[in-house]
Amino acid sequence: MADDLPIVLALLLVTVAGTATVLTRDPVRQVFALAGLGLALALLFAVLQAPDVALSQLAVGTALTPLMVLLSVRKVRRKARSERREEHE
Amino acid sequence: MNGWLAAACALLLVGFLPTLLAMCTGSVRRRVLAQNLATVLAALALLLLSQGWARSSYTDMALVLAVLGPVGTLIYERLLGEELRADRPSRRVTRTMTVLSVAPVPVVVVPVCVAATPGRTTLKLLFIAGLLVAGSALCTRALTTPPGGDGSHG
Repeated sequence: MADDLPIVLALLLVTVAGTATVLTRDPVRQVFALAGLGLALALLFAVLQAPDVALSQLAVGTALTPLMVLLSVRKVRRKARSERREEHE
Repeated sequence: MNGWLAAACALLLVGFLPTLLAMCTGSVRRRVLAQNLATVLAALALLLLSQGWARSSYTDMALVLAVLGPVGTLIYERLLGEELRADRPSRRVTRTMTVLSVAPVPVVVVPVCVAATPGRTTLKLLFIAGLLVAGSALCTRALTTPPGGDGSHG
């Protein structure tokens, strides 16, 4: 049992982060829960002795996913703002 | 289960889990600061795990995280600039976050360095520690000083 403790802990972290990601509604705030989920998943893969999977998960989860989500949020917001301005004019 | 793995578990439970909860609740500012701290703590946990399994090649994960963590935080700073600028943290919060993210680094890295076989591994560990300290200090600074330079100090 004691040998499985890191795995149990990592699974607990993934559960917490995954639940929080699903329960967050605002996309900007959800990005942070998603980044936390990425970190927790990378730790889980490391604990399960899969360092190569953990490496790719780190690259995708900490930098790429947040960048893409935030860029799309920014684009959608800018579009909405310019449409509102056009309505006013 | 040896002492290193136990230390890694303790770090995950006492350090990473509360930071994760802070990342999932509260304002955007709090989430960005927690994200910065979470990458540092995760990298330290990976270092402890690699020492616990006596596989020095596992430190690569910590190295990648030490490089990518600050990159991620700076992405947030760049893309969420408006929200963050409206809500600058106080001096006390800044100091606390800097101490929290810098202080655990030597506490973990020095024992791992002492236990690891001297040579390239030690150099790599010291390099990772330097990256972690520099990255988190840089990010906390970027998150707390206004880019326009209209703060009380730069």
